[in-house]
Order: sequence, then C-alpha cells, then structure tokens
Amino acid sequence: MLNITKEQNDGTMKVALEGRLDTTTSPELEKMLKENLDDVTELILDFEKLEYISSAGLRVLLSAQKIMNKQGEMRLINVCDEVKEIFEVTGFLDFLNVE
Amino acid sequence: MNTVTGACKDGILEIALAGHIDSTNSADVESKINDLLDGRENTPILLKARDLEYISSAGLRVLLHLKKRNPDLKIVDVSTDIYEILDMTGFTQMMDVKKALREVSVEGCKMIGRGANGTLYRIDQDNVVKVYNNANALEDIQHEREVARLALILGIPTAISYDVVRVGDSYGSVFELLNARSFSSILASEPEKMDWCVKEFVKVLKKIHGTEVPDGKLPDMRETVLSWADLVKGFLPEKQGEKLLSLIREIPYNNHMIHGDFHTQNVMVQGDDILLIDMETLAVGHPVFELGFMFNAFTGFSELDHRVILDFQGFDFETSQIFFHKVMKEYLETGDEEWIRSVVDKARIIGYTRLMRREIHRHGLETEEGKAKVEFWKKALGELLEKTETLMFDRNELDIEADVVNLPHVLEFVEKRLTAADCPLKARMQITVAVEEIFVNIAHYAYAPNKGRARVRVEISDEPIVVTVTFIDKGVPYDPLKKQDPDVTLPAAQRAIGGLGIFLVKKSMDDVTYEYRDGQNILSLKKNLK
Repeated sequence: MLNITKEQNDGTMKVALEGRLDTTTSPELEKMLKENLDDVTELILDFEKLEYISSAGLRVLLSAQKIMNKQGEMRLINVCDEVKEIFEVTGFLDFLNVE
Repeated sequence: MNTVTGACKDGILEIALAGHIDSTNSADVESKINDLLDGRENTPILLKARDLEYISSAGLRVLLHLKKRNPDLKIVDVSTDIYEILDMTGFTQMMDVKKALREVSVEGCKMIGRGANGTLYRIDQDNVVKVYNNANALEDIQHEREVARLALILGIPTAISYDVVRVGDSYGSVFELLNARSFSSILASEPEKMDWCVKEFVKVLKKIHGTEVPDGKLPDMRETVLSWADLVKGFLPEKQGEKLLSLIREIPYNNHMIHGDFHTQNVMVQGDDILLIDMETLAVGHPVFELGFMFNAFTGFSELDHRVILDFQGFDFETSQIFFHKVMKEYLETGDEEWIRSVVDKARIIGYTRLMRREIHRHGLETEEGKAKVEFWKKALGELLEKTETLMFDRNELDIEADVVNLPHVLEFVEKRLTAADCPLKARMQITVAVEEIFVNIAHYAYAPNKGRARVRVEISDEPIVVTVTFIDKGVPYDPLKKQDPDVTLPAAQRAIGGLGIFLVKKSMDDVTYEYRDGQNILSLKKNLK
C-alpha cells in the first residue's frame, strides 16, 4: 500500500511516496533509506501522493532527519494540509524542512 | 342438465345450481330446493354456483327466500358475471359470496424457483404462478399477501401477487414477473457472475436487516427458535441443553426485519431490479437467526448428502460453499477470516437446532437414517456450544486477533464506516491515525509474550455527528493516558524515537477515556464531526 520511487543524482536523492506511511509500510521506507543514504547530501521527500502518515511514519522521518543533520539536508515537498497538521501538533514542523 | 342437485355432506347441505335461473323456472327451482330442505331446517347450506350461467331478479328472489329461511348460507365458485349481478344488487353484503378461482395448469411450464412452501412456474411471458405445497393454502396465501404488502411499504423490493388461482388440487398465487431469473439459475449457468450475485444478494439482505418493523406486525423469530431449542434440549446432555436455551434467551428483542428463508431461489433479477418472491417467513429478530437459516440453505441441508443442493439450487455443493463464504465476507465487511468463522459458528448453532428439531418433529428418530442425522447434529452442536459465549455479533464491532498483521483489516473496517458517514478527509485521517496507534499498542503490549484478541467498535451518532471508536482487550491493565507527553519543542537531535503515538491521539481527538472494568481495558476515542 506504499509505493516508493527513488531517483538518485550524485549526492541528491529524491524519494516519491505514494499511498500510506503506517505501521505496516514504514519498515519498507526505513529499510530503503538505511541502504541508500550513505553518500547522500540532499534528501528530498515528495509527499504529493502520500495520503496518510501515522506515528510509525513519523519515527522514520525522525531517524532520517537525524542522519541527514550530520551529512547534509532533508526537505519535504508537496505536503498536503492533513499531513502538515500532524507535523504541527507533534512539533515536527519545528525541525522538519517542509516546503 | 339439472338446474338443482343437492346432497348432505358432513352436516352441510350442498346444493349445486346450474344453467339459467329466471322467471320461467324460478318457481320450479324454489320448490326443488324446498324439497331438499325438508326436515333440515337448521342445516347450513352451501350453494355451489360453478355451472350457474345466468340469474334474473326472479332467481335472486329465490336466494332471498332461502336466506330468510336458513340464515347460514354460503355461495361459492361464483363466476365473474354472476358475481357482478350479486354485487350490484347488494347480495354480496347480505350473504357470504365467494368468486370462483381461475384455473391454471402448470403442465409443461418451466420451474423457475422454489421456496419452503411452494414452487414457482412461468405460465406465460409476463406471469408466474407460485403453487403452494399445502393443499389447504388459502390462509397461507392471505398471510403472504399481507406481509408482502407490508414489506413493500417498508421499502423492500418484493413481487406482489395479483390473483389467487386453482392449480389442480392446490392453490396458487399469480405474480407479474417479466423475464425474471432466480440467482440460483444465474449461479448455475453463469458462474462468472458469482461476484455480482454476491454483491446484489448482500445488498438486499442488508436492506432487509436495516428495516425497522412496527411492533406486532411480524412474528418474533426468537420465540420460534426458543420453541425449537426447547424440544432439542431434551436430546442434548443437560448442560449443553441449558446453554443452548440461555444463549438464545440472551439475544435481546430486535425490531428489525429478517426474511426467514433468504436463499438464491427466492431472489430474482428482473431487468435491473432485484425482487424477492417468497415472503411468508418474514419476521423480526437479530440477524444471527437469518444467517442460521442461510447456513442451512447453503450447507446444513446438504452437509450429509451433497447431492441435495444440486437438486434444490441447481448448483453444486462446492459452488454453494464458495458463494456462502463470499456472502458472509461481504455482509460482515471484513477480510478477517477468523471473525467470519466465529460468526458462521454462531449461525451453525441456530441452523443445527432447526435441523435437529425438524428431523425429530418429522419422526426421524424412527429410522436409522434419521437417527444418524440427529447424532451428527447433536455432536456438532455439542462442540459449538462448548466454545460459544454469545450468539450476538455486531457489524459495527470487529473481534480480531491483536496482531500488527491485522492492522489493515482494522483500518479497512473503520474507514468503511467513516466513508459511509461522509466523514471529511481531515477527520478521517486523524481518526485512522489514532486507531492505528491504539491498535498497534494493544498488539505489542496487551498480551505479550502471548496472543489475545481485541474488539474494535465504531459508533457514529447523528446530530451532532460524533464518531466513537472503542477498543476492548483482556490484556494486562494499562492506561495509556497516564503516559507522559513527549516534549514537542525539542530539536530532532534530542528527540527520542517513539512516544509520539498516544500524544498524537490525545491531540487529534476531542475526547479520550480509559477504564478497566470486568478484567478488560476499555479505551474510547471521540471525534466531533460537526
């Protein structure tokens, strides 16, 4: 129920998510990031087609943010209002780079 | 032809009238009748008018005299023409007059459906006749017409009969039904339409079960089933018999409609419409009774001899099993096989009780074959009663193993109900996020390291629209609301991974309550939609 599309260009990796980022699907994203983040300096997460995020999804974003803080930057693009509100109440908006 | 012939039968003087009765022969007719009446002044009279072709005012006077001499007078088998004369002159109000029933033959007609009490034949392009098995069916027919009318008024698609006819020695009801086909016939000849059949079949079933019936209009199915269980009890070990009765007694009165004989021979397709044709078993009660009878139609009756289903429905036992399973899945709106099985088990208790009572009632215990059947049902009932705590189930409650792999089922179950209530996207997302957090929590901690079940209930109230999702588990007492909120002002580097779930739930719901009662954790989420 989660489609992950990855585009890598030198140090930039763009990951488009489609579907739901929840307890059952978050491990897929976590695993993919763990395997590919090594030489990435710019991580762009495209949320245009993401319908849903739960705390399991938030946890993956948090670990990714921690890694990227050390080696570059992380940006979230095309975030819908519903997801943005979840970032808001959880305080994630304060440290995530949401465009 | 003799105009008047008569004989006394079972204390009733039956007089057959034939031909014409007018001024030329009325005096003669009257004197013949008087001869027959001689010495039988207080005997009830039945005038049989099947061969009566014409009656003039002189003839009517003869009837009037007769009625005065002998008030207990009935006229039956009156032709439409004669009935009109009697009606115009006010005679139908003075005496009991019954029209002759049209005669219909079903010889060579195609059988298109079959229910508990009758068989359906197509008699011409536009009409079908339902021939009743019971030779004395006039009362049944009257009852069925009344309940069919009631059902139609309450919005259930049903065919209404417009005429009662004689079919040989039986009676029949005539319906207008253009090119209609039963679901059984579709399943038998076009198996690729199975999924469409399941969808439409369940749609009508839900419509029936969602229909409230004014009190007293239909019989209470629980009373009927209790009377069966009362008989069956005597053939079960004492403890099991008592449990069977108390399980049925615990089902509360329910004023929603149940069909009572809902299977694929009784559901017809006519053009784009779905129509029910067999309404005499209509009742009110909990849907578990209906599912019990459906289990019998698709499995119970043919469980010991699979040929029975082919003979009755026209499709084989395997098709029947697949169809019934798909129907249950669609009806319960779930992909959770464990839950489907648990509801079917409840249905089987009702089904086997009915089958056992029927066999015993029909003196089945006097034959070896009947004894074997009763033994089979008795054993099955014993096993089912052992593991069943209630016969109730609720389509708004999901009972599922608390395991993270079941999360998609839980979310699907909740989302279906939110969508049906036109829940706005934002609230829908907040509720599903909250449901996920709570269910995953229960799955991880309530029974660890063992396994257990959780119940998820969705209630949506009207005006104001409030969604309440309740989680019940029998795991270790745990109040998640006591957990300290995370510090959401910290930067990423100082954040702990986790601890956000319950916080999200508290922030996004309008009310969250927890209690521990009767050994159960009960957590309720409330979200106001308006």
